[in-house]
Amino acid sequence: LAFQSQLEARNHRQDKPAPPPFPPHLEIMPHRRFPKVEIFEMAPHEMRFLLSDTDASMANSIRRIMIAEVPTLAIDLVEFHENSSVLNDEYIAHRLGLIPLRYQAVDSLKGGNDIQGAFLPMRECVCYERCPRCSVEFELEVNYDKENAKRPEGERDMPITITSKDLKSNNECVSPAHFLNEEEADEAHDEGISIVKIGPGQCLKLKAVARMGVAKEHAKWSPVAVATYRFWPVITINEELCATLTLEQKQELVDCCPDRILELDEVTGKLIEAENAWELATYTEDLRVTQNTMKKRPEDDDFISCVQSKDKFIFQVETTGA
Amino acid sequence: EFANGRGVRSPAAQKKHRTTTRHTTHSSSARLKSNMNAPERSACFILDEDNGEVKVEYAADTKVNNAGTFTFNKEDHTVGNLLRMQLLRDPSVRFAGYMMPHPLIHKLRLKVQTSSSTVAPVHVLSSAIDDLASETDFLITQVNNAIDKYKKENDQGVMSQF
Repeated sequence: LAFQSQLEARNHRQDKPAPPPFPPHLEIMPHRRFPKVEIFEMAPHEMRFLLSDTDASMANSIRRIMIAEVPTLAIDLVEFHENSSVLNDEYIAHRLGLIPLRYQAVDSLKGGNDIQGAFLPMRECVCYERCPRCSVEFELEVNYDKENAKRPEGERDMPITITSKDLKSNNECVSPAHFLNEEEADEAHDEGISIVKIGPGQCLKLKAVARMGVAKEHAKWSPVAVATYRFWPVITINEELCATLTLEQKQELVDCCPDRILELDEVTGKLIEAENAWELATYTEDLRVTQNTMKKRPEDDDFISCVQSKDKFIFQVETTGA
Repeated sequence: EFANGRGVRSPAAQKKHRTTTRHTTHSSSARLKSNMNAPERSACFILDEDNGEVKVEYAADTKVNNAGTFTFNKEDHTVGNLLRMQLLRDPSVRFAGYMMPHPLIHKLRLKVQTSSSTVAPVHVLSSAIDDLASETDFLITQVNNAIDKYKKENDQGVMSQF
């Protein structure tokens, strides 16, 4: 419905007759595209999908926005009450800022990450300094002597690591992102993201305030660890020319690719594309060089050519847990 | 063993030190020291409306027919490349190019020339923006559909995490 109303608004301006209903006629908006998305793999912290029927500029813009302009929560202001650890205040504050904070709606049926309307950005909030509507407060208080008394005999008098698990938030939806699930927490040796280690007589007591921001302002607000895209490889096999190759030559072509994107079909003896060639193909220069040695004349067509597709992109996105 | 002199303290010394030093360290954004010469980081995407900055300005070109230059404030290549590619696909556009005059000054210059005087660069740009907006709306619905489809196909309990 949104498309239709937009169409009508535009055509009204240009004094054209009303367009047919969605999907719009290609003649009226010839330069619009209809991108398609297909998800290959989706896990709680990473995702691979295919974006097609669109342009490299759109793919690049999506990538840039994923990295820089998706608002996230991160610790922005730290008040130190006591810090007698080996690291100085701003160092610890810097480390606290980089801890990813996960927002999980209490109603976990809905799913975790819809932080869209949950917090107001600092500038737009009408409160004086900060309020629960636009920020989350964390408290951390670790005193070596008190903690040491609680520990079992075997671990006494060893330095204590203050980790992100010691951060206590005042909003139950927000907490530092630790591990994905129970298994990983059991397997890993450390307990959350370590902030600082303290020894006898040392203490760390602080209050931290987290706010929404975008990574354009500081990289701590970036929600992704990796957001990349590759071009889909288009492998065309010239059948006639391939038939002129001997079996050893074909085997040589198959072997020279470090990515194994080609296979030799047992039955017919022809060269075919491997099943998951799109996933593997990264470097095809070897293939081209080997083919050049096999050609009778240098200006002949390639037997197999592998080029980048102009409008299909394989995205891979991994988040930090935020 | 901690060799930094701040090791074990006697209880009396600890009590003296425990004054709540409430110095509000403006933290974790590395803005502390470099604020003298460098502008604030938020200046790269927040419009400075107090100084009369507007988002878009247009200046018609005096020497070339049917051409004009748009200046976008506080924008960068994310938007510039997208708009430029979309303009190039419009048949009534003869020239479209963008540049950032300096990487530290966040302005974008988009120069557009149309092939006939019936179509103004402003109209061409606004139709390009409309097309892009509808394309991104379509993309949002596609992504949601793809996510739903993927969840249905791999119906496991794990998926309910997101």
